[in-house]
Amino acid sequence: MPVVLGTLLALISVAVIAYPFFGSKRYRMVSERFITRELSRAERLRIYRKISDIDADFTSGDLTEADYQQQRDMLRVSAAEILRQESGASSSNSARDEELEKEISRLREQSAQPPEGGDPLR
Amino acid sequence: MADLGVMALLLGLALSAYSAVGSIIGEKRGMAELVVSARRALYMTTLAAAVASGALINAFVQNDFSIKYVADHSNTLMDRAFVWVAFYAGNEGSLLYILLTLSIITALSVWFAPKRLARSMPWTIAILAVIQLFYFGVLAFVASPFELLGTVPGDGRGINPLLTHPGMFSHPPLLMGGLIAITIPFAFVSGAMIAGNYGDDWIDVARVSAIISWGVLGTGMLLGAWWAYTILGWGGYWAWDPIENVALMPWLVMTAFIHSVMVQKRRGMFRMWNVALLNIAFVLAQLGMFINRGGPVVSVHSFAASTLGVIFLIFMLASLVFAFALFLWRMPEMKSDRAMESFISREASFLINNFLFLSVMAVTLWGVLFPLFSDLARDVSVSVSAPYFDRANGPVLLGIVIMMGIGPLLPWRKSSARSLKQWFMWPTLVGVLTIVVLVALGVQRPVAILAFGVVAFVATAISEEWWRGTAARHQAGDNWLLAWWRLVNGNRPRHGGYIVHISILMLGLGIIGTNFYQQRTDGALSLGESLVIDNYRIEYVGNGDESRRDRIAQWAEMSVYRIDTNDYSTEIAVARDEGLSGFTLENSEVRPNDELIAQIQPWHGFYPDFNMASVRSGIRSTIVEDLYVIPRDFLADGRISLAVSINPLAWWLWASGPFFILGTMVALWPQSSVERRSKHQKVPAAPDDNEGEL
Ligand code: HEM
Ligand code: HEM
Repeated sequence: MPVVLGTLLALISVAVIAYPFFGSKRYRMVSERFITRELSRAERLRIYRKISDIDADFTSGDLTEADYQQQRDMLRVSAAEILRQESGASSSNSARDEELEKEISRLREQSAQPPEGGDPLR
Repeated sequence: MADLGVMALLLGLALSAYSAVGSIIGEKRGMAELVVSARRALYMTTLAAAVASGALINAFVQNDFSIKYVADHSNTLMDRAFVWVAFYAGNEGSLLYILLTLSIITALSVWFAPKRLARSMPWTIAILAVIQLFYFGVLAFVASPFELLGTVPGDGRGINPLLTHPGMFSHPPLLMGGLIAITIPFAFVSGAMIAGNYGDDWIDVARVSAIISWGVLGTGMLLGAWWAYTILGWGGYWAWDPIENVALMPWLVMTAFIHSVMVQKRRGMFRMWNVALLNIAFVLAQLGMFINRGGPVVSVHSFAASTLGVIFLIFMLASLVFAFALFLWRMPEMKSDRAMESFISREASFLINNFLFLSVMAVTLWGVLFPLFSDLARDVSVSVSAPYFDRANGPVLLGIVIMMGIGPLLPWRKSSARSLKQWFMWPTLVGVLTIVVLVALGVQRPVAILAFGVVAFVATAISEEWWRGTAARHQAGDNWLLAWWRLVNGNRPRHGGYIVHISILMLGLGIIGTNFYQQRTDGALSLGESLVIDNYRIEYVGNGDESRRDRIAQWAEMSVYRIDTNDYSTEIAVARDEGLSGFTLENSEVRPNDELIAQIQPWHGFYPDFNMASVRSGIRSTIVEDLYVIPRDFLADGRISLAVSINPLAWWLWASGPFFILGTMVALWPQSSVERRSKHQKVPAAPDDNEGEL
């Protein structure tokens, strides 16, 4: 009995690992395009997160106003640039800007930060 | 069942070898099917490990004593619930448990790996597969739990009596699991390094997997300490035993890592540091495996030395060479985006942190390795004892706690942002005030007083930050509790971290109290006699026998009284003159004012089959101090020999546990659903890109 089970296990394993070679689905190595898209999406998310992080830092007084504005502007520019590349030239500047602000404010709401920004304690 | 187990192990061996080789060749030659197939093979190893484990557990359940491991670690008397414990009670089974854990978390982490890591995944998979290959190989050929006995005994030897406790359901699995789980962040980072993915794409996976393994390891250590203290009556909770050290070292380095990685995330700095820290943690985890699997250091845990030790030593050295060769190869690419701007900044505090944690690790490592080297060199056994560790690590640990107060108050980049004076004023004031009050109260021990001051400083710093954030939200209309919760929820990694910091402060209180202010005495009591220590009187009022087939066991009934020391001033004076911290009393000498505050039942057992004694201490615990009574022995003349101590603040050691776990979970709780949401976002994708990509 154990030998039968063991053999069965081996057969299943062989079937599972052989399937990609014989199955109908075709695989390709990761393409440049795919990676570029994934990376740019990841980068964009990372920028959103960074913006919400520095919002929080500014709120809690971990960043000066000047630093904060400067970093935020830089991050926004990079995010907009990425969005532009992702969507091609199809959408207008203002639509992208709107998209960007929406993402950021959604993040901020989630963080339940007081909306005005700035250190509420000073 | 033994056949099935062996077959599953051999199958797992073949699958993991195939997975490693297939993944690398597939990636190098651009053979997509092979890469996919190799990944599937890695999933199948989980099934193989599960079947092997199932076969062993089944053999325990069936009392199949033809299998040596089963006969060695259980018998028909054993409560069936302990099958789970017996499973990892010895070398072979615990290796199988480690492999099972590794294969499960491997499968999960590969399955859930973010797509953007697609290019480095074949390498990550190859590394994971090689590590599994090692374990399958060891289990199949060197330490098989399925080895058969020539003659089948009628009954097994039974489970090690120290293990027949509910605590054993969690402590060993957590520690072994925590140590092996360090493999995951290591494999992801190394995979990214090989693939030339030096960016920050691996950060999130590494952070999450690192915090999970770190949290599990930390919880396991705390449980082990709690168990040694509360259940086993070892009198202490941390002995700087090699096995404890090998769990502590990777934990310390991982603590440095989870802080250091924040700098990379926020500021694009410390890349080399972070990779190096993970490498070190991984190699230290392998050191732990080596020392525990038949390494040369004798410890309560370690299994008899064997060829296994050599094999694990080689594997550890191989991981060391691999990790650091990879590091040196990729080092030129791991530049920081920018340089440190000021030494009074958050990033600088994390840099100091890295050094502090590494130095505690190094001191501890030296303490573990020195006896080995001197053994080899001079053929004499030297052991490094607790005072070495205490003296060398104590000040640095205090430094770490100080930094824990300072770091979070410093802003990123440079310190112009926050008015530092304003932020440091309260913590400093409270810290200094604490010291002044303690001195004024006549508390002894300057070092401990300083340490209390530091704890107060850090606690105030955290409270201050919480107070300000909560007050702001309270003003906006939330009630206090909700306001605090919103604050925490708004930035879970940070506030989860603070909760963990609080747990470390609690641990700190316990460590200071027990290390600096412990009082001890010992004595032997006949029925009716009492032992007095400080303002406690412990009276021996009764006893009972609990011997069973496998043990000779007795317990004592003791009443604990609070005494007014003025009532006993003459006896106390005599004892003090003799340099004793306690004394015994006849029944007739007892004063009537004593107030009964507790009953305790210390227990003492001896297991002849294992030639092993085991005790359960009697403890009366309050948040101020523990009265701790260890029954050393029941003497032939009817007396009981006791070791008694008062352990100030010991309660805080264990109270820290829930906070540690809570804080870790808060920090880990998925931050937001941006990622998920963004998947539905309408970024036009080329349609042919969606199918069949790896
Ligand atoms: C501070 C306290 C403790 C620490 C830091 C600690 C550390 C560890 C570590 C690192 C492991 C995993 C080793 C490995 O297999 O790789 C382990 C396992 C284990 N510990 Fe502890 N331990 C502590 C206390 C205790 C105590 C008091 C006992 C009781 C005698 C105990 C019994 C065990 C057992 C039975 C295992 C499983 C052995 C194995 O299969 O590896 N531990 N502990
Ligand atoms: C044994 C000691 C320590 C433990 C166990 C510990 C634990 C933690 C944990 C688990 C987190 C959350 C990390 C995350 O979510 O990614 C955290 C955050 C943090 N820790 Fe520690 N920590 C320790 C010491 C220190 C020290 C010495 C410093 C001083 C520099 C420090 C500063 C911080 C800061 C500033 C954060 C929050 C960062 C943020 O998100 O704003 N910690 N800590």
